[in-house]
Amino acid sequence: MTDINLDDLTHLQAINKKLTSGYHISEQDTLMWQELDQHIDAYRALFNALGHDLQHDSRGFYYFGSDESTPNMGKISRAIALTIYILIEHYANTGKDPMRALFDEVNDLELMQTLVQINKHLFDQLEIFSGSDLRKDVYLRMVRLGLAREVENGFMLQAPIYRYIDALMEVNEETYLGEDE
Amino acid sequence: MIPAKKLLNTLTEHWGVLELLFKRFKMADFSLKDVQNAIKQKQPSWSNERIYKETNRLLNQDIIIPLAKSSQLEINRAIADFATFLLQEEHLGLAQEISVLVDDLARLGNRLAKAGEIEDYDELRRFSRIMDDRVRKIMKLFAHNENAILNIVEQAKADNAVQSLQKRYQAVIEAFDEYIEPMLEMVDIRGDFHACFNTIEAQISAQIEQIDRLGKSYQDKRMLEQLRTRILEMHLVGRESLRKSADMLMPLREELRRNNLITRQAAKVLGLVRKNGVDNMLSAVQPNFVSDAQRFSLGQQRHIVAYMAGLVDFEHDEYQLPEHDDVPAYQSPHIPDYNDVKTQFKKRFKKASKKAQPLLNFLDESYPDLEADEMLFLYQKLISDGDLEISQSQEKVKIKIAQQHFSLYPFNSSIADDKKATEQ
Repeated sequence: MTDINLDDLTHLQAINKKLTSGYHISEQDTLMWQELDQHIDAYRALFNALGHDLQHDSRGFYYFGSDESTPNMGKISRAIALTIYILIEHYANTGKDPMRALFDEVNDLELMQTLVQINKHLFDQLEIFSGSDLRKDVYLRMVRLGLAREVENGFMLQAPIYRYIDALMEVNEETYLGEDE
Repeated sequence: MIPAKKLLNTLTEHWGVLELLFKRFKMADFSLKDVQNAIKQKQPSWSNERIYKETNRLLNQDIIIPLAKSSQLEINRAIADFATFLLQEEHLGLAQEISVLVDDLARLGNRLAKAGEIEDYDELRRFSRIMDDRVRKIMKLFAHNENAILNIVEQAKADNAVQSLQKRYQAVIEAFDEYIEPMLEMVDIRGDFHACFNTIEAQISAQIEQIDRLGKSYQDKRMLEQLRTRILEMHLVGRESLRKSADMLMPLREELRRNNLITRQAAKVLGLVRKNGVDNMLSAVQPNFVSDAQRFSLGQQRHIVAYMAGLVDFEHDEYQLPEHDDVPAYQSPHIPDYNDVKTQFKKRFKKASKKAQPLLNFLDESYPDLEADEMLFLYQKLISDGDLEISQSQEKVKIKIAQQHFSLYPFNSSIADDKKATEQ
């Protein structure tokens, strides 16, 4: 039995608000991250009792696990996934180290435009037609979910992106949902 | 023969120039003009004549030597090696270099043992010295290669966005495949290397024992002891150095392997997505997020499922048509016609107007069959009738009509002042 002293959990309100909205708390959110890190047992017990599934990823982020998404969130998640996979391919094609570039490079509007141009028919499926669409529909949402942060002239991806890379490794022919399903 | 001291003086004087040439051209050749430019760069104040003289000095002392059948120049190999040592710009050697030296060591060990058998102490001393030299060389190679690997790792880790992935890791992969792997195999506890050292150690130990027994040439004993220690140390240093090098390279190799895997997978997935459509391909694996909206809406899949499941059992409540017997028989209200009541009321109170008569009492007496609510209905009709002369009492009274108790300021039959009813 974990003793939970609510007085110790000084950022509970902020953390709860963020996590329940689907936000990923990573090391860049210093205060909340440290707080979670120090009182992980208490938080886990508390959130579990409330019916949440607090997940800690050792690559440096916390989030609430969920088995399913609303149709809208699902669409957003697919858009993010596609963007990241295209980014990886793009970096690899330009001769960069994809994993390094993914987290080290600033994603500016120019890059977004290039990505959309090159992969027009893929983004068309998600109703993303321009670089600014991509910025609005994907990057700003990534910021809201804690997957990226806004910097001076673009966005930097953060550690929770690993969830998508894990998902990437899972994709194979079997994950294909045919029309009949 | 150029005196060493003179050469060293020139080297110290021109070290800057040599370092510049070394770094700029690595191991490639360069022209006389390049040398002069380098000197000019290091010593801008020097006159052309002086520069010409200094260039000649470098050439004369064989620090810079002309390439065969060419006007190009290169740095003397010995000097270059010295420079690589000083600058730690070492390049990774081959595993074979070390294995050749170790083989030689084994050969020398045999000859040493033979020399010991025939008690040829001069030979013993000579082989011991050569072996010592080989051991030093091997140790030097270990250190050298360790440095080289450090350089490779540093280069691979340097954030050099221009360099392609392939190029960046090529050196790492080569280092691993061509040096670490064979070396690790070699120093493996069951490998030749180990066996060889065991033999050599045993041979030397036997010699030392023999010298002890015979009590001859104490000097040689010390030398052999030293050699034995050095060989043991070399073995240890070698394994340590290899372990360190492997540790440095391993994460990079893993990283490369992973990166390759991810890149390949990304390309494959995008290919599948292009063929099958985004939603079909990615829906099954996409990460899910908790969202506020889904908690309170019907949007979540399980909500929909529960809803649909509920729909299966859904039935309209059937409208029950009333049956003939169910209809209660119509009961006509007992309330007599108001006008009759009014006439009766007027008739009754025409004369007896001296004493106020409570209205309700009159109703109770005249219509004993009526229910309380019916009586009150008549009562309120009467009091709101403008034609009748009634007044309200100032005191609250309790009245019982048709088995019901009421407390009110009752209206009485009298000359009306106020018509306001204050029923309970």
